[in-house]
Amino acid sequence: MELNSPWDGEHLRLRVIIAVMFAGLLFLAGALWRVQVLHGLEHAARLDKQSIRRVRLPGLRGSITDRHGTVLAGNRPSYCLALYVEELRQPGRSRQTIDEVVRVIGEIGEIIGLPAQVNRNDVRTHIRRRLPLPFLAWRDLSPEALARWVESGVSFPGVDIHIEPVREYPRGTVAAHVLGCVGRAGLSKDEHEPYHFYLPDMQGQFGVERSFDARLAGLAGGRLIRVDASGFKHNEQFEREPQKGEDLRLTLDAEIQALAESLMEGWRGAFVLLDARNGDVVAMASSPAFAPSRLGSQYGSLRKDPALPLLNRAIEGQYPPGSTFKPLVAIAALENGGVSASARYDCPGYFELGGVPFRCWRRSGHGSIGMRKSIEQSCNVYYYQVGLKCGYDRIYHMADAVGFGHHTGIALDLEMKGLLPNDTWKRRVLKDGWRSGDTCNVSIGQGAILATPLQMALFASAVGNGGRIYTPRIVTEPWEEGDLVKEMAWSAGTLATVRGGMYDVVEAETGTGRRARIAGVPMGGKTGTAEYGPREARRKYAWMIAFAPYDNPQYGAAVILEDAESGGRTAAPRMARLMAGVFGSKPVFPSPEEEAAAAAAASGQEGVAL
Amino acid sequence: MRDFIRQLGLLRYMNWAMVLATLSLLIIGVMFVYSSCYISEDLPVRTLYKRQVMWALAGLLCYVFFAALDYRVLRRWSWTVYAGCLVLLLAVLFVGTVREGAQRWLTLVGFDIQPSEPAKLALIIILARRLGLPGIYYADWRRVGGVLLLLLVPVLLILKQPDLGTAMVFVPITFIMMYGAGVPLRTLGLIALVAVLAVGCVLGAVFLPEKLGFSPELQEKFTAMTGLSDYQRSRIMVFLGVADDPLGVGWNKLQSEIAVGSGGLWGKGFRNGTQNILGFLPRKVAPNDFIYSVIAEETGFMGSLGVFLLYAMVFWGGIRAALGARDKLGRLLCVGVVALLFCHVFINIAMTVGLMPITGLPLPLLSYGGSFMLVVMAALGMMQSVHIRARRVIY
Repeated sequence: MELNSPWDGEHLRLRVIIAVMFAGLLFLAGALWRVQVLHGLEHAARLDKQSIRRVRLPGLRGSITDRHGTVLAGNRPSYCLALYVEELRQPGRSRQTIDEVVRVIGEIGEIIGLPAQVNRNDVRTHIRRRLPLPFLAWRDLSPEALARWVESGVSFPGVDIHIEPVREYPRGTVAAHVLGCVGRAGLSKDEHEPYHFYLPDMQGQFGVERSFDARLAGLAGGRLIRVDASGFKHNEQFEREPQKGEDLRLTLDAEIQALAESLMEGWRGAFVLLDARNGDVVAMASSPAFAPSRLGSQYGSLRKDPALPLLNRAIEGQYPPGSTFKPLVAIAALENGGVSASARYDCPGYFELGGVPFRCWRRSGHGSIGMRKSIEQSCNVYYYQVGLKCGYDRIYHMADAVGFGHHTGIALDLEMKGLLPNDTWKRRVLKDGWRSGDTCNVSIGQGAILATPLQMALFASAVGNGGRIYTPRIVTEPWEEGDLVKEMAWSAGTLATVRGGMYDVVEAETGTGRRARIAGVPMGGKTGTAEYGPREARRKYAWMIAFAPYDNPQYGAAVILEDAESGGRTAAPRMARLMAGVFGSKPVFPSPEEEAAAAAAASGQEGVAL
Repeated sequence: MRDFIRQLGLLRYMNWAMVLATLSLLIIGVMFVYSSCYISEDLPVRTLYKRQVMWALAGLLCYVFFAALDYRVLRRWSWTVYAGCLVLLLAVLFVGTVREGAQRWLTLVGFDIQPSEPAKLALIIILARRLGLPGIYYADWRRVGGVLLLLLVPVLLILKQPDLGTAMVFVPITFIMMYGAGVPLRTLGLIALVAVLAVGCVLGAVFLPEKLGFSPELQEKFTAMTGLSDYQRSRIMVFLGVADDPLGVGWNKLQSEIAVGSGGLWGKGFRNGTQNILGFLPRKVAPNDFIYSVIAEETGFMGSLGVFLLYAMVFWGGIRAALGARDKLGRLLCVGVVALLFCHVFINIAMTVGLMPITGLPLPLLSYGGSFMLVVMAALGMMQSVHIRARRVIY
């Protein structure tokens, strides 16, 4: 080729052209390297962000059983009919998909013979807000409807049975107040990761369900749903399996609990049975009760019920303890009040203090009476005098030490403290100083003093077991020993006198609590009839506290019935029946109803004889 | 006719490497048109790849025809072809089908054709003819002016449709061909300067009035003077970052970038492109303008590079044919065709990775589309024709 060939310049230009083009391609390759390799992960993350939805799956709630494993609160599968909207998806606008879903719901409704539980608006809302999730058209299908669906044999694409756990209380009202109930939890603030779709947990509303919520609640899991550009589900995978919550074993005995509840049927009141050796709550009943499963639907009417069925009277009810407080006064007097067990006081039926007569329940009086007998007979006049002799300070300190006026520390919400009055309290609340009359009133468990049935049961246990006071436990612990709060340094003599008096209450023929006696198991107890309300319309609380067996007490108990006749006639027979159930024994005395029937029959016979 | 059949025998002298690269690209195109559409609920969309096979076969016929045809006959036909294309471009303005606000399609005997596609080839042919005339001194302004006039007429007609992207491609093709033909750099520089100034004025008219706080009426007046549609304006504004709307015009750009980026080094595998399957990369554009996003997502950086390599083979083959061409017509034809392919490849891929505004230029041999497929295959055939008839001395 000649040097001056016109081609040379043009060939050079062609080479420049191809060089520039290759440079362009290299530049693009560089750009691709940057986008795909250097920033690849970043773009993959953006892809996930726009196409992945996180769904929170609540963990299954743990079940609650009694001490023998009987289930008191569990989960029952609820069968729902779920529509998987992505499989019913229609091309075009979402309107057509909504139409299709509504049409399918209509058809299914005819098959299972149930009216639709959802309307077109619900479908639209679901498609807008929760599109990748199954749409639950019918919740909690009855077995019949479920059977009709399964047997219909019609196969709908995109329709399936979906199972949801529902909290269930298989024993109905048994231990309702202790168990509490669950509701839907709100958004928890401490979740680190944001969820696109939040399926809430169940959350305990009160009772054990609430106080042990953290242990019962499972650990929420997560599911990742990949959605397409229109938001329909494409596929899904588990991110983290939800975990079931811990099962709780309560200290309750379901059978004894049910017995205690049945004994109070028709009454307002509470029954508490503690294990005197460690403070375990074997039964804690409050009447009237409710069914936790149906609480949600009945809450409104239950709240307005004047009998206050939602109140757990065993821990929230505060009552004047009446004569059941006398053993404590006796202990205080004997321990450091300068009163000896053998000292006798005279009871003419009343005690006059500053011109005001304080009456004994027996108008005719008990005559000259000693400590042990005073417990058996529940002589008021004796305790007026002992209380004044010993001084209120000593009574106050003893009651305070035993736990009156304090929370027992049971792991249930809303526990009340009761009220142990003193000078400071009276000056603050009633703007008046403490007087001897106040001492007299508190000495017989009247006046301002208030106690919960649980406190009384704890006191009964303490007298029974020689002065050990436990924190009542509602959930079993792997260890046997109780949660000992303190051990009262009561002398053997004191204990012998007071326990002896309480033995006589039940076991002596003249004992005020003899109707609590059961065959074969001796027990100690104390009845009480606390009065309240205006003088002309006196109402009575019937109390009985007890511990059994007498020699080596296993149980301490307290029962209270509102608007009852008296501790001896109303509370004692029920204590007998509960203890009989616990020990597999029989009450010695007939029940009040049987007594009344027998009396009627006797009077009828007399009538015939005359 | 007998003459033509005799010419078929010459096909054995084709650049077979280039044939191989072309066929590979065709097959890849069919595969990924399938991959981008197989998930669609629409039957016509789902079976789009079958139609792409038909177009590819028709394209191969064109390829063989133009390879066998002596390109020198184009000397006689160049004006006719050019004039014919202008007529079609005019016709499209009056009787064309309107889709998405643009009048680009002509329906002829049941087929939708886009006259702007053959116009590209017609321009290449006429320019090769004009610039290839022997003994031309290119510093002659009248000659250069004549060439620019040949460019401007179709460009203005296409802008009127409006189709900014396609019109834009004509300019660099002409420029590269002029450079290849030996037009002095000074002349080219001057032309480039004028062009840049013109573009600057248009952009200035679009954005400055708003920035300078002119009254809305005055802004509108300036906008009208540029002749750009609102749609074009918004696309340019999104690209320049002046307007930000990830769900509007910018959506495709964003999704394409995510698709390409999430492909990584090795990709997600054939038919596994999440962006495409989930429909974030709209199914309407995935098989044509954004086919490269699908390829990049599913085959990763390595696959994308492989496609580059195939294109590079085609370009190199074209330039080799130009270097060996027996006359200037052939050489300029090859330069023009390579320029056409390169412009499409560069702009399309640059747009896919987010370096350029979304212009809607198809990717040669890969994108779904009939008119452009036939045009590209014809152009490649012409390149082979030049190669076959080269003076077999050099190279």
